[in-house]
Amino acid sequence: MSKWYPKNGKVIFHVDMNSFYASVEAAHNPALKGKPLAIAGNPEERRGIVVTSSYEARAKGVKTTMPLWEAKRLCPELIVMRPNFERYRNASSEMFKMLAEITPYVQPVSIDEGYMDISSCESLGSPLEIAKTIQSRIATELGIPCSIGIAPNKFLAKMASDMKKPMGITVLRLRDLSDKLWPLPVEEMYGIGSKTAEKLYKLDIKTIKDLVEADVYVLKRVLGINGERLQNRAKGIDPSIVDPDAIYDFKSIGNSETLPEDTVNDQEISQLLRKLARKVSARLKRKKVVGQHIQLTIRFHDRKTITRSKKLVELIEEETTIFKYALSLLDEHWNGKPIRLLGITVQDLHDKQEIVQQLDLFTYEKEASKEKLYQAMEKLTEKYGTDTFTKMNNSEDKTQPSTSFQKDYLDDYKK
Amino acid sequence: MRFIIQRDQLIDSIQHVMKAISSRVTIPILTGIKIEASAEGIKLTGSDSDISIESFIPKEEDGIINAEEITEGSIVVQAKYFPDIIRKLPLKAVEIVADENYQVTIKSGGAEFHLNGQDATEYPQLPVLHTDNSFTLKNEVLKDLIKQTVFAVSTVETRPILTGVNMKLEEGFLNFVATDSHRLASRKLPVDLETEQIDFKNVVIPGKSLSELNKIIEDNEDTITISVTENQILFQTKHLYFLSRLLDGNYPETSRLIPDQSKTVIYAKTKELLQAIDRASLLAKENRNNVVKLQTKENDQLEITSNTPEVGEVVEDLSTDSIDGEELKISFSAKYVIDALKIIEEEKVKIEFTGAMRPFIIRPMDNEHILQLILPVRTY
Repeated sequence: MSKWYPKNGKVIFHVDMNSFYASVEAAHNPALKGKPLAIAGNPEERRGIVVTSSYEARAKGVKTTMPLWEAKRLCPELIVMRPNFERYRNASSEMFKMLAEITPYVQPVSIDEGYMDISSCESLGSPLEIAKTIQSRIATELGIPCSIGIAPNKFLAKMASDMKKPMGITVLRLRDLSDKLWPLPVEEMYGIGSKTAEKLYKLDIKTIKDLVEADVYVLKRVLGINGERLQNRAKGIDPSIVDPDAIYDFKSIGNSETLPEDTVNDQEISQLLRKLARKVSARLKRKKVVGQHIQLTIRFHDRKTITRSKKLVELIEEETTIFKYALSLLDEHWNGKPIRLLGITVQDLHDKQEIVQQLDLFTYEKEASKEKLYQAMEKLTEKYGTDTFTKMNNSEDKTQPSTSFQKDYLDDYKK
Repeated sequence: MRFIIQRDQLIDSIQHVMKAISSRVTIPILTGIKIEASAEGIKLTGSDSDISIESFIPKEEDGIINAEEITEGSIVVQAKYFPDIIRKLPLKAVEIVADENYQVTIKSGGAEFHLNGQDATEYPQLPVLHTDNSFTLKNEVLKDLIKQTVFAVSTVETRPILTGVNMKLEEGFLNFVATDSHRLASRKLPVDLETEQIDFKNVVIPGKSLSELNKIIEDNEDTITISVTENQILFQTKHLYFLSRLLDGNYPETSRLIPDQSKTVIYAKTKELLQAIDRASLLAKENRNNVVKLQTKENDQLEITSNTPEVGEVVEDLSTDSIDGEELKISFSAKYVIDALKIIEEEKVKIEFTGAMRPFIIRPMDNEHILQLILPVRTY
């Protein structure tokens, strides 16, 4: 069996849930199975756009980020649902739990995809067998289809999982690259967006093969250090490791939201700001971090966007303090023009465990008055372990992550 | 103006007045050094309007001639060039001449510099202090008072008053206090000033002024006269006139913030404690507050630890002379404790704690006049 596991190489999986939100909804309500389904942020408001859609809807031309009215024109029988993030989060957490049963080397990258390093899983069978087990477990227990890419590194695994959808298992070996990878148009390569593709087209690089054969100096000149990395990946070289802690490498936590109407109304603006502060605060608390830098994003009616930030003397996590600083930034920088969108981001984050608070001569009495309580807590913690006390946090479960870019819940599967 | 002067004397004086000169001043002429020649000798002046320093070189002192062939007059020279020129001249004696067009000629041996000067009458007049609020100290005593407190002033302008040292005279003690709100340094000096009718309370001297003054005055038994007015303070020795503005505002009342009882008392050897904390802080430099932990153990032992997850950890057991009272576990900034221990010359120190989240006090054993108070850090 060891022939499947190279001595000096790795075996990496990329597990990608197919049409995740729509699949979860269909699993939840079987009546939706086989029907064209789209998940859209607030369907009744103008910003309603397709977040994701089922394969049946995609067959009619419905695409992610398409405005709802356009999707409905293409597919009049389209069923539109609001996203139910709590549901997706639970399904995601279950899915990652299954992956974690195979190996601890699981790196979630978003709510519906992750990498696994199964190089040391020889005893569980061949990679193909393991992949089939994962796929069928997720399909039977969660009712969600997924595609799995198997390759010697993360990049190739990612490319492989994209090659057959839904419910595909694709093995991409180095010797397969010239047949399977290189003929693809360059913009299909993971890591190449429309801007990069445009630049490459100007160099007459149209396929991944062209990229492999391109002059590395030219690539570096046009794309910087990333140019060389892209070429290496195209050649099948990607030294990045499956890092289960990668999701902890977040540098900021932020939320933004578009107002229903462009507005100059102080009350509406401050209401939204408070709501954003509440969300950011809940996310900071979930991650048990505090921040020392706050940034306010204001997008005006003409789409002109400014960001203004401030380094703080204190570490912030509470809604009221975040709101206070965000409001003062707004007061300072808002020119009075109608606002379309506001965003609050807290940066310069620190793990609560690693931080210490230098007490102040003029204010220490306040902290010191709680000393007896802290002492009692510490004694009990020493006796019963670190989970004895968790701070009351009623809002935690009510606050649902509201964008798929938020990754701070991806470690829930470990709980 | 013309005179010939001993170069070494001139260099000393230049160094003194340069302490007050800043390139960032609102009045351009203050970037220069004022030189005045009179029958008695040569006077140099530097000022940034916060601090003004005059240094006088007498024509003759203790039978030694410092300056000769003096023609009275005055000139302002550029502080950017003048000090370096004088320092690098070839001979021991320098001839300096200024003409009516403010051209300065500096001659020594074969070297001759011509420097553009400025009209000395353009230079702001230093205020003359009219006050009876004066007292005298020995140079070395004043230097001690400064050294033992000024390091604790705040370096940030969030509470400007804390960037200064509070000088008080009460109950027969002259008291210097400085705090940045995280630590406080206090030094008392018993004084017998009843004969000199003086009175001041809320005098706050900028920390920077005292640091510069400390660099200039010599560590000896000569006396220095200190005069205080509403908004200025003057330090005067035989040949030095050091004037500083005082900080505006009320210095916070700190005495009531100093705990008067303690729960844990440790007696330890100053140097050993200082070195152990210094070692523990080697690994703590990475973390935000340079935090070191201290824990009391059995048999008068202290455990000093520091842990920075990405770097490593250190544990050191230290024998003390005695530990009395409650058990204690406390975290603090190593820097503050090192600063405090460094100024203590006595062999042994007494440290009094009143709890892990309350200030603790470090004093030399058997010397109640020095007090170093430090606020711990709270760990989560």
